[in-house]
Amino acid sequence: MGDLRADEPTEVLDVLGRVCPYPLVLTKKKLEKMEKDTLLKVLCDAPASAEDSIPKYAEKQGFGFDSVKVEDKGHWELYIKKTK
Amino acid sequence: MAIKKISFIVDKLPYKGESSRLALTHCIASQTVEIHLEDDENVEPVLAFVGDGVLNCLKNQDAAAYGVSTLESHIKNALLTDIKVLICEEDVKRLGLSEDALIMDAEDLGADMTSQIVPFSEIMAEMESSVHLMYF
Repeated sequence: MGDLRADEPTEVLDVLGRVCPYPLVLTKKKLEKMEKDTLLKVLCDAPASAEDSIPKYAEKQGFGFDSVKVEDKGHWELYIKKTK
Repeated sequence: MAIKKISFIVDKLPYKGESSRLALTHCIASQTVEIHLEDDENVEPVLAFVGDGVLNCLKNQDAAAYGVSTLESHIKNALLTDIKVLICEEDVKRLGLSEDALIMDAEDLGADMTSQIVPFSEIMAEMESSVHLMYF
């Protein structure tokens, strides 16, 4: 899969300020509308979504996933590669 | 893919209690349970407002006096997350409401879905084709 963070995202989804369940639902809906082999970058500041539910969803779908916590901004950048 | 349709039926007034808000929260959240289901299983939620519940769908709600977010914003979020939102036509007429007075879209949020004012028979058909019915 390589380092997804090094790739240019096809789309960026900003769910900053949104609480559970919105980050996962909006991520899921966005991915459903994206083409295969595209990369979604999600900006999320909800810990449970960023560290648990969104990674779980990506894993269950078999999508590529990578994340980084941007400490100084207090949010996560999630990278999801839609592989199918 | 095994789709389990769940109908969330709201027939209570907004703000009188937590019923409407719980219905919307559960309905929206139901789309996330896929991560806990078997492969190829999913949930299709349907949200229907009947009886006095159609008053939840009025535009320009002001909930500041209650110190809570409006049901209007939650309904728009339901549309944003592609939930089928049905409003009972007979009750809209009974309460003397027009389509203009109701939340029919969430274009301001970028939603593709729109609310539908439909005869109760259509809501009944959705209920009959559902695996689970939840009343709020």
